[in-house]
Amino acid sequence: MVDIFSTPSLVTIVLGTVALLIPVIDALNKEKSSKNKVYSGIAFGSLVLALVIVIARIVSGETLPALSLSSDGVITDDVFGGFFSIAFLIVSIMVTVSSWSYMKNKSNHAAYYSLILLSSIGMILIGYSTDFVMLLVSWELMSIPTYALAAFSKKDPISNESAVKYFLFGALSTSIIILAMGIVYGLTGTTNIYDSIVALSELKTELIPFGLLAVGLFVAGFGFKMGLVPFHMWLPDTYSGAPTTVGTLLAAGTKKAGFAAAIRVIVIGLIALNVQWAFVLAIIAIFTMTIGNLGALTQRSVPRILAYSSVAQAGYILIGLAVAPFAAQGIDASLFHVMNHAVMKSGAFIAAAAVIVVISGYTLDKYKGLGYRMPITAIVMTISLLALAGIPPLNGFWSKLLLFGSAIDSGQLIWWGPYLAIAGILNSALSLGYYALIIRKMYLDEGENRVRQKEPKSLVAVLIFALGFMVIFGIWYGPILDFASMASPGDLTQLVPVR
Amino acid sequence: MVGTETIGFAGLGVNAWLIWMIPFIGAALIPALKNKSERVKSYIAVGFSFLSAFFALSILPIGLAGNEIHSQIPWFSALNLNAGVLADPLGIIMSNLVAWISASIFVYSISYMHGERSLTRYWFFMLFFIGSMQLIVLSDNLLMVFFGWEGVGLASFALIGFWYTDRKKDYVGREGHVVWGIPMWASPTHSGIKAFLFNRVGDIMMLSGMFMIFAYAGTFGFKELLSDQSWAQEMMQQNLLVPAAVLLFGGAIGKSAQFPLNEWLLEAMTGPTSVSALIHAATMVKAGVFLVARIGPLFFALAVFNVSLFFEVVAWVGAITAFLLATQALVNQEIKKVLAYSTGSQIGYMMMALGIAGLSTNFVDGYTAGFFHMISHALFKASLFMAAGAILHTVGSRFMYDMGGLRKNMKKTYIFMLLASLSLAGAPLITSGFWSKDAIFASLLESSYSLSPYLFTIAVVIAVMTAFYTFRMVGLVFFGKPSKNMANMESKGQRIHEVSKMMWIPFAILAISSIAIGFVGFAFEAQIHGLFAHYLSNTFGISERGEGDDGGFLGLNPIAAISSVGAFGVGGYLGYLFYIQRKADPEKIRENVVSRAMWQFLHNRWYLNSLLYWIGVVIPLAFYRLTYKYFEGIFINGINPALQYSMVFMSKVVKVTQTGNIQTYLYVFSAGIIVIAMLLLM
Repeated sequence: MVDIFSTPSLVTIVLGTVALLIPVIDALNKEKSSKNKVYSGIAFGSLVLALVIVIARIVSGETLPALSLSSDGVITDDVFGGFFSIAFLIVSIMVTVSSWSYMKNKSNHAAYYSLILLSSIGMILIGYSTDFVMLLVSWELMSIPTYALAAFSKKDPISNESAVKYFLFGALSTSIIILAMGIVYGLTGTTNIYDSIVALSELKTELIPFGLLAVGLFVAGFGFKMGLVPFHMWLPDTYSGAPTTVGTLLAAGTKKAGFAAAIRVIVIGLIALNVQWAFVLAIIAIFTMTIGNLGALTQRSVPRILAYSSVAQAGYILIGLAVAPFAAQGIDASLFHVMNHAVMKSGAFIAAAAVIVVISGYTLDKYKGLGYRMPITAIVMTISLLALAGIPPLNGFWSKLLLFGSAIDSGQLIWWGPYLAIAGILNSALSLGYYALIIRKMYLDEGENRVRQKEPKSLVAVLIFALGFMVIFGIWYGPILDFASMASPGDLTQLVPVR
Repeated sequence: MVGTETIGFAGLGVNAWLIWMIPFIGAALIPALKNKSERVKSYIAVGFSFLSAFFALSILPIGLAGNEIHSQIPWFSALNLNAGVLADPLGIIMSNLVAWISASIFVYSISYMHGERSLTRYWFFMLFFIGSMQLIVLSDNLLMVFFGWEGVGLASFALIGFWYTDRKKDYVGREGHVVWGIPMWASPTHSGIKAFLFNRVGDIMMLSGMFMIFAYAGTFGFKELLSDQSWAQEMMQQNLLVPAAVLLFGGAIGKSAQFPLNEWLLEAMTGPTSVSALIHAATMVKAGVFLVARIGPLFFALAVFNVSLFFEVVAWVGAITAFLLATQALVNQEIKKVLAYSTGSQIGYMMMALGIAGLSTNFVDGYTAGFFHMISHALFKASLFMAAGAILHTVGSRFMYDMGGLRKNMKKTYIFMLLASLSLAGAPLITSGFWSKDAIFASLLESSYSLSPYLFTIAVVIAVMTAFYTFRMVGLVFFGKPSKNMANMESKGQRIHEVSKMMWIPFAILAISSIAIGFVGFAFEAQIHGLFAHYLSNTFGISERGEGDDGGFLGLNPIAAISSVGAFGVGGYLGYLFYIQRKADPEKIRENVVSRAMWQFLHNRWYLNSLLYWIGVVIPLAFYRLTYKYFEGIFINGINPALQYSMVFMSKVVKVTQTGNIQTYLYVFSAGIIVIAMLLLM
């Protein structure tokens, strides 16, 4: 049963209380004046408290090791969940703090922060779920607030359009996930993930196609959030149309929740069914990387470039999942990149948000001469982009190195492993085509003027944090990598029965 | 924490880590003070250098007791690499030498650089330099040494070219002096790049040597390399051990300006004199010697694998450099360049000593001699440079014929420069230079190496020349009549005066300590000899095999002492005759054809500089123009647009599919599910 003192319950209590409290305070507040700073502060405090709880629980060793599978209860308290929680919380904190400036002149602050917190709870619970029903509920808890958040600029038609697209596809993917869960339940008679995986591994041969169909549907359902090709098409519209802070939450946060669910369900479930599936994920990975990068190459709007780039990054992360059964470090590498990408992408998106706030521009042309006008934003944007491209010694380099390295290692067992690495490396080169273009615009092109603009303090704080993270954990990547390998289930074939 | 043998604060050697970290922290802080006054910047920088020096002092007792601090933390866990500090007697003594000399030069800089523009840049690189240098000294592995190595290279490059506006007065060399079509004078920016490129050659060799060893040993750590020697066995079987060692030494050749990469050091004199004193005399150029001192015992401990060829290379490179540069110092006219030639030449001595150490049964003798000479040279040369800086500051010209008769106007500078010069010339018994040089002579004499008599002869000849050019310098600067330049200055109303306290006290301290060590020279040598004997036998298992001291007068080897005194006498007397008493006119040699040709040869630097320019610059540039025109221009430029347009085209295709219509998206989505299901069920 769920222990009240386990990490997920504690975090849920903390964040949930605050999420409900903020609208109550707002309702009781008679004054019309905006309370943006207060709510942002409260939300920030609760998120930091949650982060402290998660870290303290892991450090004190009270959590279960790695990815623990059990048929007991709907939620576990393991390091795997803790790893994702930390990534989500870092993103949420960055989003909350940057909203301090970003939301300044907008309305409905109470709802905004409340929704971010609720969505964070959903993401965190996904990381800890061990039951399909729990997973579905968390999934919806994560998704529904973000539909509203995407439409937050009520009078902006683009924001509305993006939210509608997002909502339609969200609804579609949820129904597909439910369908898949239904098939699995029909085949195995249980909603517990571990039990159903064990049951799948003992499935009668003639029923295997149904099991595989269910997994295919899971790929589609979760793949929608992860932004895998061909389920990615809503993504550039939504990420770039939604308010940029919300875009950050989507690109850096909820996308990762898709990976958490995918590792819990798809990867482990598929090993029990049929190891050949890995090839399918490999094909998806290659398409996702290539189409993401090609799409970004000729865009004119920076948030849109970043949205496409996040499609491509999902492809890189997927490499680790695809080679997981054949390379010892596949999942480690994916987790490593998940954590790094969460910060790199948030850094880039929030830099873009800063540009929108300060000079209200998002096209490449507006970025000309940004190095003079907004030096801090420009340098963080540059470092984030270089990290995303995988330039040493930034953190993105090491996780990509590990991803491609594990793909090459898997070559001992499967012929297509090294090709994944080659595709990844060529794509990284291609991606520099647009990353470097932004950097060039910022530093080498002459802008309208060279007047230094005032950069909002809270945005600067978040950007400096991201910069520090990327540089420090680039030079000294040991801790993150160690944490990722601690959270990773390790050799998957040891974990579940293999057919 | 991996290291277990740790002493120091908190048992982790925190103070040893801080020695190199503090200057870096200071360097990071300096740009933040950009808009503060010159005073604030200077004093904060000096404060950081002293802070680092005090931490160095805090580990000195550990070193003198023969103990060591070794502390490691994991770094690149995937490659099993650790970061660590290794403060053993060698590192600790060197670290203190670096720390305190740099602290005194920092104090000197406050006054010397007063009123310069871009002091932020100056202090940033100076602190960055100390941090990198201490990193070299205190690292426990080759990789971190290499990081420090590159750091000092960068600082050196930036500070040589500090006056990047290339004013004529910051040049070195006489304008119009062209040899084989190559100009022999250089601007600061040119010199900075030259130094950087010469060092690159050495660094690449060092890097390849490092990685060869890493490929076999799987570690860069000095301790680890020593504890498990199977890598040496394997490398020996492939005949790679000596090449790897020589490649590592290549790094030392570049950094310490040894033959054939010696030319950069002379142009490096375009930097501010404080920089020349710190980087190009006292510390950075010693990094090469230090590296050999670091790896030398390791390779000597591998003596079973017969690595004597490596030590022969070290000894002969040292001998050739020492001779080559000493001859050129005889004829040069710029005070800083004379000192630069002399620096390279003296480092040659040190290399010779370290090389001969590996060729003798008594490794400790040569090793101690080399290291002792490094200490005494660092002291007196830093002092000489600072004094030269004081003179340049006053006279405003780098040429010695623009000086003359200064002993009356600058009494303090004269006295202390004379003391330091005596040490350089090796004045018997009272100067540290005498004792360390004598130790080198003795180790050359006592070696069993078959060619060591030749090395000894060369060493003595160099000693004669050293004494001569030292007295020549002192004579030209301080004796004789004031030059025309000075008369001009006086007539314009500029008074030739003594420099400020802040300038002369630092070099006075160093000059006096050089003499002080000379007074107790024998005891001092015995002290470090004992320390290193203990250290080498404990750490590397290299024990003294000889019968110990031969018990002559103050432990002097009679032949070595006599030749040393004789060399000083002969060289010194000639210098005295020509340049102090001015009894004979040195210009006479130009009248004789043979002596004039010799003078020309030396003055043109043995044509080595021009040769290197032809091989390294002129010919490659011609090749570059050809490739640029035909390969780049026709071939590459043909391919590039094809790549560009194809990618843009494909990107457009992706863009077209992104219609914005939900219908399209849904269609693709469902098609995706079907394809994936089919692939899975295949």
